[in-house]
Amino acid sequence: MGPLYKLGWFDFGYSLQMALLIGFLFGFVLERAGFGNARKLVAIFYLRDFAVLKVMFTAIVVCMMGLLYFSVLGWIHMGGVYILPTYIWPQIVGGLILGVGFVMGGYCPTTSVVATVSGKLDGLIFLIGMMLGSFIFAELFPVLEGFYRAGAMGPVRLQDVLGINSGMIALLVAVMAVVIYWLVEKVEQHFGDPETLPRGSRPIKRTAAAVLIALGLILAIINPDTQPGMTKASLSQFEKQEEEVQKAAPKEMGSESTTFRIVEDEGC
Amino acid sequence: MQPKGLGQRYSNPYVIGVLLGLVLLFSFYTMGRGLGSSSTFARITAAGVELMAPDHVQQHPYLSKYLQTERPILMEWLVFLTLGAGLGGLFSAFIANRIQGEVTRGPHIAPYPRLWLALGGGILSGFAARLARGCTSGQALTGASELAVGSWVFMFSIFAGAYLTAYFFRKEWS
Repeated sequence: MGPLYKLGWFDFGYSLQMALLIGFLFGFVLERAGFGNARKLVAIFYLRDFAVLKVMFTAIVVCMMGLLYFSVLGWIHMGGVYILPTYIWPQIVGGLILGVGFVMGGYCPTTSVVATVSGKLDGLIFLIGMMLGSFIFAELFPVLEGFYRAGAMGPVRLQDVLGINSGMIALLVAVMAVVIYWLVEKVEQHFGDPETLPRGSRPIKRTAAAVLIALGLILAIINPDTQPGMTKASLSQFEKQEEEVQKAAPKEMGSESTTFRIVEDEGC
Repeated sequence: MQPKGLGQRYSNPYVIGVLLGLVLLFSFYTMGRGLGSSSTFARITAAGVELMAPDHVQQHPYLSKYLQTERPILMEWLVFLTLGAGLGGLFSAFIANRIQGEVTRGPHIAPYPRLWLALGGGILSGFAARLARGCTSGQALTGASELAVGSWVFMFSIFAGAYLTAYFFRKEWS
């Protein structure tokens, strides 16, 4: 039953080693996809190569399905997973600015790290820019604070605002993914360079699309929100269990040695 | 896109997407949180300011929140994750023979203007990531997998911002 850390499987020091391992895999797969190269990344904005969208959307669909199936099977408890809080206005404006920064600078934060280690000077300059940008934000914070907290909705999820169960949402996202993949491949064939676009066999793609939609359909039918482990009562039960683990944990390194405190602005 | 003769061909994006989704799922399963990196650079900034003017950080309305724990500012999960991402990227670039000192740019722009634009893009991204409480990985990828509402809105905003302004930067890339 996960998340393992919240149930006291390992301590803070071990969690940092875990971070190194997870980060290593993260950086590794990004570089494999070619995301250390700004020209490969921004090609999406000139309709030539949609690798960014394909990687991102596929990762989201896989992880979303994984979390829902894990909850249904009782392997993970969403009560122990940090759900990002929504602040709608700063997120819209922040997204727009980040988009401009992406096409201007050629990277987003993590990909610039991968670019820097593969020897790209522009990646390093982008990193330095990010530190300056963070500093500017911090210094302007007294002026921005009101807007920074505008549109606070708490940790709401799509099923809360759309009024349909998370299984239906999974199915919708799966269908949307397949339609988008089909669409962007058409666009790529028109604007892109056939030499560098990924090859793929049509039967494999069709099978994968069918599997994806079938997985969504199963979730839509079983409705994960009514499963034991997803109901409100069991969420609070998990919190109790978590508290007990935290209480029992050794305190020699100070009261916070075994817990995270996720600072609100950290994203995850 | 990829210079011919240098390094191997990039992997299939769908395969990479599945692997990235599994890495993210593993992170949720073990730690109860997802990936991220932008706050690492905010923390480095905060640590730098602390080094030069410790009082300034303690009284700072924004940076002081990085001092909520008793640990040093940089002894944090995401900082180690970013360090790992650097190592993983380095390993992958090394085995694919893709490490090369260069300034990535289109054929019609000189290195210096490109570097100024990279700096500008970095400043905008650093600012925006703090405003939105995360970047493409920490907010969009992680949050969208959990079906967080704000993260989906944020992700579409990124694409909107980039597509709306791509025209003005076309000479930088093609």
